[in-house]
Amino acid sequence: MIHVVLIVFLITLFYLSIANRMLTYVKVLALQGVLLFFIVFLQLNEINTLNLILILLETIVFKAIAVPVFLGYLLKRNKITREAEPYLPNFISLLITTTIVVATILLSNSIKDTHLDKMFFVVALSTLFTGLYFIASRRKIITHVMGYLVIENGVFILSLAVGNEMPMLVNLGIMLDIFASVLILGIFLNKIGDVFKDVDVDQLTNLKDY
Amino acid sequence: MLSILLIVLAALFFTGIINRTKSLASGRKGPGIMQPIKDVVRLFKKGAVYSETSSFIFQIAPTIYLASIIMAMLVIPFGQSKGLISFNCDFIFFAYVLALGKFFSIISAMDTGSSFEGMGASREALYSMFAEPAFFILMGSFALLTGYTSFQEIFAALHIGSYLSYALATLATFVLVMVAMIENSRMPIDDPKTHLELTMVHEVMILDNSGFDLGLILAGGYLKFAIYGALIVNLFIGIVDYQYAIPVFFVIQFAMAVAIGLIESFMARFRMNHNAQFIVALTSVSLLIFFGALLILGKFN
Repeated sequence: MIHVVLIVFLITLFYLSIANRMLTYVKVLALQGVLLFFIVFLQLNEINTLNLILILLETIVFKAIAVPVFLGYLLKRNKITREAEPYLPNFISLLITTTIVVATILLSNSIKDTHLDKMFFVVALSTLFTGLYFIASRRKIITHVMGYLVIENGVFILSLAVGNEMPMLVNLGIMLDIFASVLILGIFLNKIGDVFKDVDVDQLTNLKDY
Repeated sequence: MLSILLIVLAALFFTGIINRTKSLASGRKGPGIMQPIKDVVRLFKKGAVYSETSSFIFQIAPTIYLASIIMAMLVIPFGQSKGLISFNCDFIFFAYVLALGKFFSIISAMDTGSSFEGMGASREALYSMFAEPAFFILMGSFALLTGYTSFQEIFAALHIGSYLSYALATLATFVLVMVAMIENSRMPIDDPKTHLELTMVHEVMILDNSGFDLGLILAGGYLKFAIYGALIVNLFIGIVDYQYAIPVFFVIQFAMAVAIGLIESFMARFRMNHNAQFIVALTSVSLLIFFGALLILGKFN
């Protein structure tokens, strides 16, 4: 069952790479939050109940509801255009994402470590690299934030793989998540959305120190 | 033998049901279920008109197209009963015999010298080129999973056990349905009822065919639908007895026709430049099926 959810998670990455609209990105991030909720529910069956409830609440409240709603609010408030405007065509994005997934599968297959859960490793690593790729290939700052959130989901999955032995890691991941989403979205993007009328990274290269 | 009979029976009604669903969804009564067959019969009674600029390729292409589809139909099994011909790796034969027919319809479209038809031919070639890896990776992972390489043995040995295989079966059905849509030039990729040559894919290729030739191409199209439907049915009826399998066959074909009709009524076609990435996404999903198959086999853990 847990493998099924992980495979669906990989498919969301493919979908993310061919999505056109900003709202689609937000929806896919929310879906990833729900999937993470299920993964947590299925995977962390050995840690104490209070901690489990905390983690479940975090995934469903922050990853699946609060952050996507906030992102949608930001899109509206800052009047960010609805198209994603990547540097590369979506077609090439899809090919690169597929290559990333295949490469991580091959990489993990060459690792001979019995302690490692390969499935988690593959999904986490490919999510991480796909998030990095999104940051590198998208033009808007809000898409960079989304790429960062995707990376965080990857880190979270990786921490879940060892969550039963080291619940501390999962909690650290949650802290990182809350910190990053609140800080980046709240302060950084709001300021930029207000000061510059257009949230386009290209314009940041024009900033100069006289 | 049974599969051929069932496919021909399903092909008689399939397109009629799609058209009926579309007309009911748009609030019309619509033509009868048998109207497409009547059209084909009417066309068969006519002669064909050939342009002076076209060569013999244009004249033989519709025949080869239909012949290739009938050849492909022969290897489709039904549950435990084999197709009329069955040998190892016959899914490769299936794909490439269909590709041969497609190749001939493409060069016959080029043969007319019409720029619209050349454009449609190039699109059709591009889409089937992208759809091919999806189909092969899918069938290849089935072959890997079951250890057999012919359609009948693969489908007979395919059984659903764990959660993971449920997920893989769902994904495989999705990929197969979408490949069927691409091969039959249906909705998300191509709109059969479009009236502008610039936006057509498959329809623009057969603009110059008339009379008997057009009838052959239409009949081939109906059969092709039923063939892919039969493939999808085969995913589910591996070891089911005939008295259940045959009704299931018709129910699934009917459901598929209704679903296609509903999709065509309520969905807009993708933009042309989104089609390619959509089809390649199918390849990515079938790659996931491949790795899932490896996971089930324990080759990868």
